This record gives sequence, C-alpha cells and structure tokens, in this order.
Amino acid sequence: MPRLPNSLLRKARNINSLLPALLGPCRDLTSAQNELRWLREHVHKEAKRRSKKGDTLAKADLLKTLVECRAKGFPLQYLLGSEFFGDLEIECRPGVLIPRPETAASVTHLAKLIGSAQNLPTELRVLDLCTGTGCIPLLFQNEFRSLRDNIALRLLGVDISRKAIALAIRNRRRLHQSNKDVYKTATAFMLADVLSNPFADSAIDSPLPLKSALNHRRLPAFWDILISNPPYISPDAFRTTTARSVRGFEPRLALVPPQEAGSSHVEKGDTFYPAIFQAAKDTEVKVVLLEVADLDQALRVARMAQMRNFDGVEIWCDQPDQVNDSIPEASHGIPIVGQGNGRSVVCWQGIGAEWLEKKAASIESRPMKEVLEQTLAPRFELERCADDTVRLPRFLFRARTQLVDEWGLPVKWSTQGDKKKS
Amino acid sequence: MRATPWICRNCLSRIARPANRLRSSRFQSTASTSESVPPALLSRARSIASEHKQLTEKLADGFDTRAAKKLGEYSAVVTALKDWEKAKESVTELTSLIHDPTTDPELLALASDDLDATRTQLANASSNLTTSLVPIHPFAHLPCLLEIRPGAGGSEAAIFAGDLLRMYQAFCNRNDFRSNLLKYENVNGTQEAGIPLSEAVLEIDSENAYGVFRSEAGVHRVQRVPATETKGRTHTSAASVHVLPSLQESSLGENDIDDPESDYYIDPKEVKLEVMRARGAGGQHVNTTESAVRLTHIPTNTSVSMQDSRSQPKNKEKAWVLLRSRLAQLRRDKREEEMVAMRRSVVGVARMGRGDKVRTYNWGQQRVTDHRSGTTVHDLDDVMQGGQTLSKVMESVRTWLMEKDVEALLAEDAPAREGKK
Repeated sequence: MPRLPNSLLRKARNINSLLPALLGPCRDLTSAQNELRWLREHVHKEAKRRSKKGDTLAKADLLKTLVECRAKGFPLQYLLGSEFFGDLEIECRPGVLIPRPETAASVTHLAKLIGSAQNLPTELRVLDLCTGTGCIPLLFQNEFRSLRDNIALRLLGVDISRKAIALAIRNRRRLHQSNKDVYKTATAFMLADVLSNPFADSAIDSPLPLKSALNHRRLPAFWDILISNPPYISPDAFRTTTARSVRGFEPRLALVPPQEAGSSHVEKGDTFYPAIFQAAKDTEVKVVLLEVADLDQALRVARMAQMRNFDGVEIWCDQPDQVNDSIPEASHGIPIVGQGNGRSVVCWQGIGAEWLEKKAASIESRPMKEVLEQTLAPRFELERCADDTVRLPRFLFRARTQLVDEWGLPVKWSTQGDKKKS
Repeated sequence: MRATPWICRNCLSRIARPANRLRSSRFQSTASTSESVPPALLSRARSIASEHKQLTEKLADGFDTRAAKKLGEYSAVVTALKDWEKAKESVTELTSLIHDPTTDPELLALASDDLDATRTQLANASSNLTTSLVPIHPFAHLPCLLEIRPGAGGSEAAIFAGDLLRMYQAFCNRNDFRSNLLKYENVNGTQEAGIPLSEAVLEIDSENAYGVFRSEAGVHRVQRVPATETKGRTHTSAASVHVLPSLQESSLGENDIDDPESDYYIDPKEVKLEVMRARGAGGQHVNTTESAVRLTHIPTNTSVSMQDSRSQPKNKEKAWVLLRSRLAQLRRDKREEEMVAMRRSVVGVARMGRGDKVRTYNWGQQRVTDHRSGTTVHDLDDVMQGGQTLSKVMESVRTWLMEKDVEALLAEDAPAREGKK
C-alpha cells in the first residue's frame, strides 16, 4: 500500500486534528471526513441516550477513543453498531460478518424479479445458507413485500455460528418492531452445518447437518429459492488480497471455508459450493443465487451448476440492475448481467425460469434434433438416413409443422415406427 | 347620352358572373377540398417514400436501431401515400372511362356507380395522408390565453376590440370551449362593461384550444362607419390579438415525477448511475464505508453527487431529488426564454398597424376576408356572433398554416438532404 503523502496528512490536520488518524484506513480525505462526521453523529446520539438514563458522557473522549480504534483498522460498522444493507439498517457485532453492499444489490435485484413474477406459489419459501446477520432474508422480505402482499413468505436463515444466529434474531425483532405491516411472513433462523454429511458421526454439541436440522425443527423439506453468501476466500487470497480491517477484525469463519486435503490452492475457496448445490438438489429449489469472489470463481461455480443439470445459469455483476457496458456479455456461453466485477451466480430450473422471465432454454437453445434423439432414442428406434435426416415415429406426425417449419428439422416419416415397440 | 344611370364596373361584373361565384364557393366547401392534397404535402410524402425505400435497403444489409426507428415513423406516411395514389389512379381511370364516347352503356353505368365509392375512398385516403404528414405544433394540445388590445384607430379600435372579445366568447360558447375572462379593462381603467375596451385576456381552458385559436393571432382590421362618427365616413381601425399557450404551473408540481409532461420528470434511461466501487476484488475481501452516489443526466451533462448518508439507497434518493430540481430549473429557464421569443414573434411591436392585418371585417360590404388564406365570407353578422361562418374562416387559416408548416419543413429538409449527398 502506498505511503500517505505528508502534504495530505498536513491538509487533513488543518481541517481537523482527528482526521490524519482516519486517513490510515480510509486512504482519502473525503471518505475520512465522512467517517469522522458519522462517528461524531454516533457520539452525539450515544450521549443523548446516556443522558436520558441520567448518566453523563465525555463526548470528546469517546470520539477520540473511537477514532483511535478506527485508526487501527477496526471496522467502522462495528464501532457504530450497524450497517446499511439496501434500505435496512442491520445491527453488526464483532464476530459476525458485516453485510456488503454488493450482496444487497444482487438480493434486491432478485427480489424485484421474483416480486414481479407470475405463477408464484401461494407460499414462497426462501432459504438462506450462511446468513450471518440475517441481512439477506430480512432484505428479501422487505423488497418482496413492497411489490407483493398477496403471497405468504417463509424465510429461513441458516448459520453455523451461535453468535450469528443470536444477532440475526435480534435484527429480525428490531426490524419487525419498526415495521408493523409484516404479516403472512414467517422468518426463522436456525443453527445448522451446511458442510457436514448427515450420515457421518458427529460430536454431541456440534450443529446438526442441514437436512437433519430441517427435520428436527419440523420445517418444510422443500423450498423455492436458495440464496447464499458463503465463505469464499481461499487461504492464499485471505493473506494477500483482503483489506486489513477485514483480515484483522472480521471472523475468519465467515470468510475462509474449512480446508479439504488435496484441493488445489485456487479451489480452496470453492469448498462450499458443491455442498450448497447438493442442498439445492435436496430441497428442490427452483432458483439459486450464490455470491462469489470474482469472475473466475463465478465461471467455476457456473460450470458446476451446468454439470448439475440446471436449466440455465447466469453471472450477475456488482450492479445487476444496470446495463452491462464493459465486460463481454457472455463468457464460455454463460451470460453476464450488469456492471462491475462478477459477483454472483444465478441458476434456475423448472418454473424458476418463468419467475426470472427466462425462456425455457432447455429446449429452444439446444438443437432440436439432439433433443429429440436424446428423449426418443431410449424408447424408439430412430432410423438415421443417409441424407442426415431422421425417421421419426408416426405418432409425431401431428407435430410436423412445428418440427419442420419452426425448428427446421429434416424429417422423414417412418412407415412402421409405431409397430416396432407396440 | 345613356339612359341608364352609371353603375360601377365591379358591380356590373358581379351581376354578370353569378355562376363564377357559385363555383368559387364550392371550392371552399369541405367535400371538394378534402379530396385534394396540398402540393407541398404531396412532395414531402414522395420524398419520405423515397427515403423509406433507401432505409429499407439499408436495413436489409445490417441492423441499425436509429434507422429502424425512423422506418417505423415513416411507414404510416408511406402506406397512406400508397392508398392515396391507388385511389387517385382508379378515379382518373373511371372518369376517363365515363368521358370516353366509345364506352358501351353497360360499362358506363357500372363505372359511374363505382365513381362515387372511389371518390369517398380518395377523400378518406387524402385526409389520412394529410394527418399522417402534418407536423403537430408542440403546444397544440394545450389550453391557451387570448389577449385582445386595440391598435391604431383610437376609440373606434377600442370598440372593435370589445366586439372581437364578444365574438370569441360567443364562439367558445357555441363550440363548447370553457372560457374564462382573466382580465378585462376598459379605456377608463375600470372593469365596467359597455365602455370601449383597453385590454382583455380570455383564458380558453379546454384541451387543444391553442391548436384551434393559433390561427387568430395577428392584427384584425375593421372598416365601418364608427358609432362615434358624426359625418358618416368609413374608418379603418385595427385591434391586435395575441394567442399564447397556457402552461399551467400547478400541473408541474413536484408530486408528479412520473408524468412525462412534468418539469420534474427524468427518463431513468438518460441517467448514468455511478457508485463508488471497491478497488480490486470487492465483496467479502474489503469492508468499504464508501456510500457515495453520482448521477449524471447524459443529455444535459448535469451531474449530482451525494455522500451524506451511510446508506447508499438513501444517498441515491437524495441525489435523484437534487438532480430533478436542477433539471426542472434548467427546463423552466429554457421555457421562459421560448415564451419570450414566441411573444415577440407572434406580433412584433412594430407590426401593429393597419397594413399588417391578418383579417378584415368590412361592415359596408358585410364581408370578412382573411388575408392569409384568401378566404372571403359574406355573413358578417354570423361571424361577429361567433357562428359557423367564423369556424369556416378559422378552418381555412388552419389549413393555410399547415401548408406553411409543411413548406418550412421541406425547406429545412432540403439542405439536410444536400448535405447527405
């Protein structure tokens, strides 16, 4: 990191004597000024709160301590006790990951898409794995409710950390208090381990595996939407690319996945994704939104999704609601939506395509001949002719206009196709 | 010596040509005018058709959004022109059949039967063609303000101005325009009626009022023996009429930001949103407190940045409010400039005399002549009562204005097309 120039430090000191200390973590003057202002507002609020209790507070001292803490790299959000996540103010505490604005952008975008979708079930079930502060379910509910109120919502946040679950429950209570019109909504938070195998032996007081926990809590086994912002930083990247305040003060548990022996150092960040896809399969979700570190990881995860027979995969950038202007619009056949760095992977199957207003890509994008051959070949003997046409069984004759005109499939009609199997 | 008394030549010729007058009045009737299309319009339609053809060829090679949009705009004109040409052709064919002496009687009967139907088709086609071509005045849909002031001619002009005001009020009543007298001041400076008028502002509060009354702006000349005249001489005086579109401020409040008419409306597509992105990886790697948002309105290059709050959505909201009010201010200034320019162009200060008249009301001959369209009607009383005859005159002026507009358009287009070549 480049040294801060003396001129900048001097300039900062001329404005306020506390500013030079804040320049360390902030790196530029305007954001240092903003942080100082927010800290000062926080101190005022705190002083007012104390004086209500009949207590007194030395404002200047508190501000000075806070600035000193911040100068060491302690995250501002922990100092102020909250962070804005979309429209919500989420409480933050050391030991639980601070919500990031990029996550808010993609969750908001997803909630908007789903909120304006047709054909939703009467109860929409949203599962959030590795929920942390509980920000994702709470924001999803907030955004979804602003669009639709005729559909019941069931939200479940899952985390392995007891601290996180306690904080998430606190956040839920606080937000539901301020927001009375929440009805037909059930938000729950549950302690469970996404990674552990339900059939393996486990220690007595360790969290249950996800599937067992769902059973144990008598929660539904099938869900509609799965969102997750799992730990995705590989140990190497944690050492080299993370910011100092993240590395030093945020929980490693929420950032770096546990290591499996034998995985390459690049893939050490990907530990969670196969487990999440397995959970998606078990709970039969229709839409999956996963946050990733960058475009490379996005592509790795997207390929994983393709292997697992999702109907479609997309990569969303930091701002998925903006028009893509810089990066190529597709990479390796996977469309990239939005502006900024590759941030999340979205995949869908079945009716999820309709919710996201995607065409049922499974049939139309693949060559028709291939589809027909794959679906029909096990049951009927298809005759291949020399001129690259396919002889189809005659029961498909009524669909000939579609076959021939719309898909341009060269077809000849078998005279005895029906007899072969019947 | 002649036995007959002397008769002026004009009167003689009028006696001699009653048929002429009949025919000329038929030219003004609606049935025959709607069949013909003004030549200026027709040539514009043809040029559009040729451009349409070029665009189609261009689009066949490769897609271009702008060209496709233009093509869509032109296609209505092109189809209307095709219909019109087809109808025109069949009419000429039928007429030639009828006039041909060698046509056998059976065919003749058929042709003359068909002619009427084809005529109506042609009339429809030509009205379609005109409506598809004529540029609509940007303010035509708005309500308007009609200001009447006496010009040259002293108190007679003031009396005539009062007559005009009553004429327009009667016209509004007959044609279901809501009118409202905003200001009325007589020469004594009071609001008492019956005394010569010094200034009146009539607000016509119906939609499309500006489109209808736009033709009335200008100097109206009167030729009559004034009530104030003692020796029976005919005077010529004038009154000026200003017509201005009324842009209602109340409808441009901050409340209707979704209404495209409003000053506060901004098309979200025209705004570029920039948020401070984390340098490098972002996501879990960094823990940014930057929440600054910058909005840039691309057409006007106005930009607003906001970093007061820790919440990015809140900053965005504030930035939008600020951008809206800045753009609204810009637009208001621009509109005020336009209004000033328009006020000057409607009737220049120097052009208020008797000579620069747009219409003459002649009591002696019971005649009203509009000097722009060249229409003359003879039912002065009906005109002054705001009746059917007045609407006829106004209609003719609107047609004339439309032709002028099209000519101006053609003139504008010509250099552009030269430039392209």
